[in-house]
Amino acid sequence: MALLEVEGLVAGYGAITAVKGISLHLDEGEIVTLIGSNGAGKTTTLRAISGLIRPRQGDIRFAGRSLVGLKPHEVVAVGVAHVPEGRGIFGTLTVKENLLLGAHRRRDAGILEDLERVFALFPRLRERLGQVAGTLSGGEQQMLAIGRALMAKPRVLLLDEPSMGLAPFLVDAIFQTIVEIRAAGTPILLVEQNAAAALEIADRGYVLESGTIVLSGTGAELARNDGVRRAYLGEL
Amino acid sequence: MPDLRLWLKVPPRRDVARRLLPAAAVVLFALVPAVPFFTDPWLRVFFLVGLYVVLGLGLNIVVGFAGLLDLGYVAFFAAGAYLMGILTSPQSPVDLRLEFWVILPLALLLGALVGLLLGLPVLPLRGDYLAIVTLGFGEIIRILLVNLRDITGGSQGLAAIEKPPVPGWQRIDEPWQWYYVILVTAVAVAFLSARLRDARIGRAWEAIREDEDVAAAMGIDTVKYKLLAFATGAAVGSVGGVLFASYIGFINPTSFTLQVSINVLAVVIIGGMGNTWGVVFGAFILIGVPELLQFRETSDVLERLGWLRTALDAPFAALDALAPFGVWRVPEPETWGRLVADKRFIIYGALLVAVMVARPGGLFPSRRRKLEFEAPPPSEVAEPSALAAGGSQ
Repeated sequence: MALLEVEGLVAGYGAITAVKGISLHLDEGEIVTLIGSNGAGKTTTLRAISGLIRPRQGDIRFAGRSLVGLKPHEVVAVGVAHVPEGRGIFGTLTVKENLLLGAHRRRDAGILEDLERVFALFPRLRERLGQVAGTLSGGEQQMLAIGRALMAKPRVLLLDEPSMGLAPFLVDAIFQTIVEIRAAGTPILLVEQNAAAALEIADRGYVLESGTIVLSGTGAELARNDGVRRAYLGEL
Repeated sequence: MPDLRLWLKVPPRRDVARRLLPAAAVVLFALVPAVPFFTDPWLRVFFLVGLYVVLGLGLNIVVGFAGLLDLGYVAFFAAGAYLMGILTSPQSPVDLRLEFWVILPLALLLGALVGLLLGLPVLPLRGDYLAIVTLGFGEIIRILLVNLRDITGGSQGLAAIEKPPVPGWQRIDEPWQWYYVILVTAVAVAFLSARLRDARIGRAWEAIREDEDVAAAMGIDTVKYKLLAFATGAAVGSVGGVLFASYIGFINPTSFTLQVSINVLAVVIIGGMGNTWGVVFGAFILIGVPELLQFRETSDVLERLGWLRTALDAPFAALDALAPFGVWRVPEPETWGRLVADKRFIIYGALLVAVMVARPGGLFPSRRRKLEFEAPPPSEVAEPSALAAGGSQ
């Protein structure tokens, strides 16, 4: 049984149906990517999983338990952490306060160990601990957003466009970290417009077009696919 | 082993000066009644200032911390005042003979309850919509007070409200005694609000204020924390109401108009949202100064400083010329102070506009507010060393 399963998900905003019945799954130890152009429904899918919007139809199951109808904070409590698009850093709080907010629901002593773990992934954050997050660079903010989500000690991490607005070498570094997070035992559902970078590290991927999954396969298969190469990898 | 204290003691305690300054100020305030210069009229003004400090700090929890623009704060103030009035005024049909000290905790509970009552229906609303609904809520409460004649005394109000008894002594009645009551209350509320701000709950509010969706995605129960903000702020307002009713001894609905909500909000904004000292300063400027201007001593001083009066009159004289029907008539010297007091809303408005233009974070913005207005937007692309340095260390 897959750890995270989405089945026949239909979701949207008001009159707009952004996601039209998609199914996907994520297993332990996997990085699965959801690629597609702007407006394909990638972010909507993540928002539905984390409870920020209510699915119109379909089911979302985590470790066999349905997440439909749970409030966002309850979804976090069962072990699904979401790094939203645009990072969602609390700019007026310090780095430390941001990280502690990630562990908001926890009261166990393990918080300290997890902080050390975050610092091991992002040594930069330790240096910037007392700094106000709004003054961090874009790359540092992305590190903070991921680090903050890890502070919830999630069993699954949802990443929305971690490469957005970052210089290419920073994208590489962030993606390297994503691989490290998976190696440390947290599977990742990665939404990306940067299909090339995402497919390189993903075990499997889904291609989303206008709210429907048009293609799926291993990362390598998708990267070889002619349609994907033309549409998303910039090849003619 | 990482330093446990670093993480578990949540409030980032600053240097000693930051602790000594408030203590010194409190001692200074406590000495005020001992100064012969500060006669009873002065102390009455200071009580009013202190009351607005309490209300300002309470509203600041809702508006400053949680970012929920509440324009109906007077409703909670009225709830406390009428609780005190109904339970102790001989004109009310309720004859429970409860004393002030029993009513005070009841007012805390009632305030929190009314706060929840307002909070529940407005939970899905944000920004402007929230402001409009809370404004309506304040008016509803006031209209209820007018119309529930049997209990509230209608527009006549309730008189002969009890003073707080001190066991083995008299009832608190003298201005200096009230001064200490409000001082202790204000210090307690200031302490409470500083603790809340630096604790988990304060960070949760801050997160909600910045981005409600992200806060929810962080595992923060936004519904719970928004309601907590409303309830906490309302409880403080209600306590302020109890003190006000007992101090004045007589209440009617004209004391609980929209203007009160606006005054309290102005105190918070002018002083610097989120900052305790800002609230103290704002209350003094907006509530204290207009009252002090009515004093004979003040008028005397103004008389002697003729040039100052002329300078201050100038804008009114200019308005006079524009409005020949006499709305702005420059007053006779002896009533000048009264005019300033009467026209304090013009001064309020001008001051608000001036402060918002010159210092959008208020006169004394909190650390965080300051950042919000002054921090440069973060660059989208990190400087080249950012991750490279991180990776190699």
